[in-house]
Amino acid sequence: MKKFLLLTALFGALFLSACKDEEEAKDPGTFAITFDNMALINNVQQQLSLTTAGNTDYPYTNEMGQQFNITLLRYYISAIELDGPNGEHFHDHMEATAAGAKGYYLVDESKPASQEILLTDVPAGTYNKITFTVGVDSSGIVDGAAGGNLDPATCNMFWNWNSGYIAVKFEGQSPVSNGGVGGTETIAGTDPNGMAYHVGGWKNIPGGVFVYNNKRLSYTFDTNAKVESKLEPELHMVFDVQKLFGGHHAIDFTGNHNVHKPADGVDVANNLEHAFAYDHIHQ
Amino acid sequence: MAPVIGATFSPFTMKKTLIISALALVSVVIGCKKDETDKGPSYEFRKPENFPEPTYTFDNNPVTEAGFKLGKKLFFDPILSVDNTVSCNNCHNQSLAFADLPLHAFSKGVMERQGIRNAPQLVNLAFMKEFFWDGGVTHLDFVPLNAIEAEFEMDEEIENVIAKLNNHAEYPALFKAAFGTDEINTPLMLHALSQFTNLMVSNNSPYDKYLRGEVVLTAQELEGLRLFEQKCQSCHSGILFTDESYRNNGIDSVFTDIGRARITSFSGDIGKFRVPSLRNVGITRPYMHNAKFATLEAVLDHYSDGIIESPSLDPSLENGIPMTAEEKAAIITFLKTLTDKDFTQDERFFKG
Repeated sequence: MKKFLLLTALFGALFLSACKDEEEAKDPGTFAITFDNMALINNVQQQLSLTTAGNTDYPYTNEMGQQFNITLLRYYISAIELDGPNGEHFHDHMEATAAGAKGYYLVDESKPASQEILLTDVPAGTYNKITFTVGVDSSGIVDGAAGGNLDPATCNMFWNWNSGYIAVKFEGQSPVSNGGVGGTETIAGTDPNGMAYHVGGWKNIPGGVFVYNNKRLSYTFDTNAKVESKLEPELHMVFDVQKLFGGHHAIDFTGNHNVHKPADGVDVANNLEHAFAYDHIHQ
Repeated sequence: MAPVIGATFSPFTMKKTLIISALALVSVVIGCKKDETDKGPSYEFRKPENFPEPTYTFDNNPVTEAGFKLGKKLFFDPILSVDNTVSCNNCHNQSLAFADLPLHAFSKGVMERQGIRNAPQLVNLAFMKEFFWDGGVTHLDFVPLNAIEAEFEMDEEIENVIAKLNNHAEYPALFKAAFGTDEINTPLMLHALSQFTNLMVSNNSPYDKYLRGEVVLTAQELEGLRLFEQKCQSCHSGILFTDESYRNNGIDSVFTDIGRARITSFSGDIGKFRVPSLRNVGITRPYMHNAKFATLEAVLDHYSDGIIESPSLDPSLENGIPMTAEEKAAIITFLKTLTDKDFTQDERFFKG
């Protein structure tokens, strides 16, 4: 009898401590990310407004003081990771099959819903850093044709001749551009002020001479984001379109304004880390 | 089959022969039919033992009979082109190892538009790392996009192709049978075409049969093989007869078509093109990306005496490849042992 009681007590203690552990571990939650495409005008951040070809209003200015407007802005965000100060780590699930694509987000200024990304099953904890790839790296290519955001027919981001995905597609007009762009969705070749910056190139082969223009970028938050099942933290990232044409390398619209191959997009790609920025968190 | 039966029964009177022939034919036909339902041709992808591992990602797109036949229907269907006139088969003819007709130096697209390069044969694609003369495409699935959307080929938008297929009387059911889905989308269409092209394995040429000890080669063919190993194999290497590199083989010094540099944007690659596989080379004339040479004799004359210098010329060709007329003849005799008639007559690829 004595022995039995002792054992029961022991098991009970074990059981209780196990329960306690489980209570401490919080259920995973969601983490929302909004990409706000903006421009800084008179030191005030303003939401972008897209226009159509032919409009001669030029609300934006690049680093060289050249005015421009925007008819199309679209980019891929993929392979998102979150990290926290206590070793928290989350890696978004990636999949590229005929049935669809997971972990490849296509942010399109003309589609507000595409600017909001909802990560699910994020382990509970605090997070203060995000890392993502602008573009689609080899993981979206090497297994062949995929659907969803990677469907070559519907994404309008696929290069057939040098097969791979455009990372950032910008089309617009500038009074200083001399037009004559080709292979565009919104700007005709006859548009005297058209511009096209189709920035891509994913072939990252050691010893090769390919141009790799996808960028892996990391940003830390000034406040921690707390994730658990009942919370809905939302991170706002800013994409400043004017910095796409400056920061690392000032882009001159009178020069190379018709970008359709990896080598021509290097300077714009190098500006990406300046164009994106952490803005704020809603807890 | 009928003439063989006729010959067997030739001692009989004419009438009897005919009746018996007819009977025999019927039974053979029935026999064949029964055989096919029992076994039938295989639609499984099989790697020949002496071939490298395939590059194709079969895990997410295994070949099935329904998928292969759907891919075949697409391959022969001009629905892929803007005005429903041009199919893949227009430039890729099975009797020529899926190369273009010798008449067409460059591929011929919709509205008689002329292409910019000679359409290559389609052989052993499942083993290739890159595709097209400049190697711009790195996965077989993405190959048809180039042909469908190029202005001078089919000039059609993939979105339209998918819409046409979804509205078609037969395709939705065929996609359902092949992939179990109600909606046709781009990756599934591309997967079907890849299933068809992945089975284009050529490994039954007389040379392959010689390697397997099934046939013997003539003394001249063997001499040609020896010379080939000595003079050609450094580029046309391995069982696929290509090292899949890009080289300037001295056919030009001014390059309107910059070749590999179009993909790499590297000035050192200007004028370099893919080293093509030499399998079935005896039936894929004309030769080179720009169809410069009409015959194999002209090709070998080029390598021995016609190399044109330019900055990116392949170092191995700086002095040409010395060959006597007799040696060239032997090499050509050998090259013709790479013609795979089992492949060019493989009924699985027939349109019907």
